[in-house]
Amino acid sequence: MIDIVNVSRLYKRGADEIHALERVNLHVARGRFVALMGPSGSGKSTLLNVLAGLDRPNSGDVTVAGKHLNDLTEDELAEFRAHTVGFVFQFFNLIPVLSAVENVELPLLLTKLSRAERRTRGLTALRVVGLGERADHLPRQLSGGEQQRVAIARAIVTDAELIVADEPTGDLDAKNAEEILSLLQTLKRDFGKTIVIVTHDPRAEKWVDEVIHLDKGLLLETRPGGAARGAAGG
Amino acid sequence: MALPLSYSWRSMLARGMRTVFTVAVIALVVVATTLFWSLIASLKRTLISSGSPDNLVVMRKGATNDGSSQLALEAYQAIRFFEGIAKDPQGNPLVSPELVVQPFFHTNAGMRENVLVRGVEPQALTVHDEVKIREGRMFTPSSGEAVVGRIVSERYQGAKLGDQLRFGNRDWKVVGILDSGGSSFESEVWVDARELANNAKRPLPYSGFRIRVADGADMDALARRIGDDQRWALEATPEVDYYRNLSKTANTLYIIVAGLAVLAGIGAMFGATNTMYAAVQARTSEIGTLRALGFSRGSILIAFLAESLMTALFAFAIGALLSWLLAMGISAAMGGIGFAAQTFTTNVVVLRVEPQDLIIPLVLSVLIGVLGGFFPASAAARLRPVDALRKA
Amino acid sequence: MKYLPLVLRNLGRNPLRSLLTGAAIMLAIALVCILRTMPAGLDAILKSAAANTRISTHNEAGIVYSMPYSYLAKVRGVPGVVAAISWNWFGGTTDLSKGVQFPNFAVDPDGFGEVYADWKLDPQVFEDFRKYRDAAIVGHATLEKMGWKVGDVVTLESTVFPVTLSFRIVGASPAQNGSFYFQREYLAQALAAAGIQFDTTGMIWSRVDDPEKLGSAMRQIDEMFHNSEAVTSTETESSFVGNFFGGLKQLVTIIQIVAALVTLCIVFIAANTASMSIRERVGEIAILKAIGFRKQTIFTTLLAEAGILALFAGIAGSGTAYVLTKLLQQYASNAGPQMGPLTAFIVSGTILVQAIFIAFFIGILAGWVPALGASRRSVAQTLREVF
Repeated sequence: MIDIVNVSRLYKRGADEIHALERVNLHVARGRFVALMGPSGSGKSTLLNVLAGLDRPNSGDVTVAGKHLNDLTEDELAEFRAHTVGFVFQFFNLIPVLSAVENVELPLLLTKLSRAERRTRGLTALRVVGLGERADHLPRQLSGGEQQRVAIARAIVTDAELIVADEPTGDLDAKNAEEILSLLQTLKRDFGKTIVIVTHDPRAEKWVDEVIHLDKGLLLETRPGGAARGAAGG
Repeated sequence: MALPLSYSWRSMLARGMRTVFTVAVIALVVVATTLFWSLIASLKRTLISSGSPDNLVVMRKGATNDGSSQLALEAYQAIRFFEGIAKDPQGNPLVSPELVVQPFFHTNAGMRENVLVRGVEPQALTVHDEVKIREGRMFTPSSGEAVVGRIVSERYQGAKLGDQLRFGNRDWKVVGILDSGGSSFESEVWVDARELANNAKRPLPYSGFRIRVADGADMDALARRIGDDQRWALEATPEVDYYRNLSKTANTLYIIVAGLAVLAGIGAMFGATNTMYAAVQARTSEIGTLRALGFSRGSILIAFLAESLMTALFAFAIGALLSWLLAMGISAAMGGIGFAAQTFTTNVVVLRVEPQDLIIPLVLSVLIGVLGGFFPASAAARLRPVDALRKA
Repeated sequence: MKYLPLVLRNLGRNPLRSLLTGAAIMLAIALVCILRTMPAGLDAILKSAAANTRISTHNEAGIVYSMPYSYLAKVRGVPGVVAAISWNWFGGTTDLSKGVQFPNFAVDPDGFGEVYADWKLDPQVFEDFRKYRDAAIVGHATLEKMGWKVGDVVTLESTVFPVTLSFRIVGASPAQNGSFYFQREYLAQALAAAGIQFDTTGMIWSRVDDPEKLGSAMRQIDEMFHNSEAVTSTETESSFVGNFFGGLKQLVTIIQIVAALVTLCIVFIAANTASMSIRERVGEIAILKAIGFRKQTIFTTLLAEAGILALFAGIAGSGTAYVLTKLLQQYASNAGPQMGPLTAFIVSGTILVQAIFIAFFIGILAGWVPALGASRRSVAQTLREVF
């Protein structure tokens, strides 16, 4: 599903040059739930941005869902993201002036679906994440955990194959964090989604198939996560 | 304890773009208001400065200005020996009989305007003691000569010293330039009364008389005596009042301009409020810190009000400077501005921003600053330290 | 326009800010409208004057210089001239202490109807005007101002002649200046009784049947009197009116300058709000781009916010201007002669509609740069900075 070959990314912050990624190689098979972990500045978010088509590497190849992202123009990348990727961020996920279901429907505005069809899909996605009754509530009326779930609903409403989440549990307490991770695992198991998350949270390890460690832009190691071990029966 | 003014000043400068926009809005309102206000004020100044406190204006009863009045020679001969009228060293009464005609003139820019031509006798210069010949000399009677006001010489074709000025279908030689300290006489042309009456074919030779009241004489009594005289339907008004009445119609213009300025001011005020609210929002955590440190609600309120006021005053300063420059530019480009006068002639006004013209715009700016900043400042003051810090 | 709900909701994001901005723009647009109605009053007069083939003849020296009345007969004989009448300023008033409140003239009733055929009055009115010695035709504006109606008998005392005359109003004219016209002969008789000769006239108005003949007719008239004691100057009515109000052109320029300044104000008000509200949403916009919305779409929706807010404000501003000009018209009728028709504050549909477009256009202009900047921001960079 995801093939990252020899990718490097450097950017400037003021006068400094930051080597965010140094010749990273990564392969993620379809239907896997993967966590990118590492200390601050390790490049995990940059790697996530690259594989999600949000950022271009300075060198190396990026192929996702069969598409060679290097070749795509900015508008084509936007289209790619619209169809193939679902996003969950730590903050600012939801537009405060739109209700939960309207937020979920947002990506559908990019399709040719009618208003009624968009609404149906939106409600369905909300039900999957367990928030069917909160469709008309505004984000400020939802708790942190509920807001993240709405974001996840939005991520699946277009039937995207790949879901990326940057620190999805960063702002949440233990109970909510568990719920989110569990939900993500359900998406992988029951809907076959490929999921890549970036996280500091060590609790995440037990839910994922694979943990990938980065530091200072280098991929250090790959280990199986709790879910894989669980599946293997160990 | 109070927050130092420098806090307000530096905060204002910190949010550059937002402050620039707000300052621009208020400054533009100041310029617009000042230009209009100065225009009317300049007009009023021209009219009010005309007239001597020792003079009476005598016209036909019911005439509002000496351009529409007509008086007979006999009236002049009767009135001039009334008691209370000043006399010159030779014992001649200082009564200036005058004829007002409004011929077409052409401006240097090619516009056709009516100009007030005043036919006078030599004693006119004595009676109108504010009028002086600045260059050249007074005209010689019956010689086809004319003296022109300073503004006339600058505005109309053929009106410079030495030129042949054409009006009334004949030429008049310009032999002198009049100066009257900025009053409306500078928009006039003076010629020999008899020549003018001939030229304009007036059946009655005069429009009105200007009378110098003798020192110590009772001006009101003299005016009453003239008005009560059964032989002629005359009315005498103090010259100062005469011009003040002519300028009264400008008062309505003042009110219209004031109304428009209020409209603009309220608009600018809303803009300022917007900016101040954004400032409060952006500095919520900062306010929380200040409150936690012990600064009172009142000091926060005052600090934000001060910032709003400073912005407005800063804008006022810029606006005032720009208006002053713009007024000079307009005057240089357009010359004097012509207003239609009740006398069916043109009052030419030089647009100039005088310090007193800035009072209203200053008041407007202060109101914009204070009223505009009030609600945001109260909102800032009402923030509880705990909430403010948490929001960060 | 499926993005319209999103745009409208975003305006409701900070209702206070949208309201304040809208109110500020509304007042500024109202002001611009009011300022623009001032020259419009002048234009209306000039336009109506340009529409007909009347020409005026007056003493070259000025309107206050008279011409011999005998000129009228000669003008009537000029080829192309269909009818001609003379005007003499009566300077009458109902109340001496108030001065002259409207223009009033002694005119020739024969030919009056033809010269003013464009008034499209009932021919009976002109007939009555000729039939009754004391008949008067008065402009609508004056009838309203003085509270008179057709059929009333009114008295005017002249400030120019030593006579007072009573008139019977037989008709109303649509003339812009509201002039009051009565029979010359009526005045002549009163003056004769007072021993005053009346053989001059102030102006002669003629109607030329064929626009092609205008130039030659005008030339001929002036040539006829070229060597007489009263040299004439003949011009079309629109030229006369243009010259009459020529001085106002300067005031119009100043008004236009002020209007431009106020318009500039609006740009700054709108730009300020647009930049503030867009800057606050940097993170949100980044996420929209992440989800797949293209630069164009983001740009358009952000721009639409500014445009729509300005549009609504413009509509409210035009409405406010309409109401205010009605008020001003009442009040400013006492504004005195200084600004003449400029204080008529005639608001027209064109001005109101143009104001709405101006507002919308300004909204777009003001929002352009912030919207463009936001749409172009690199998503990755924004995410880095914000998180």
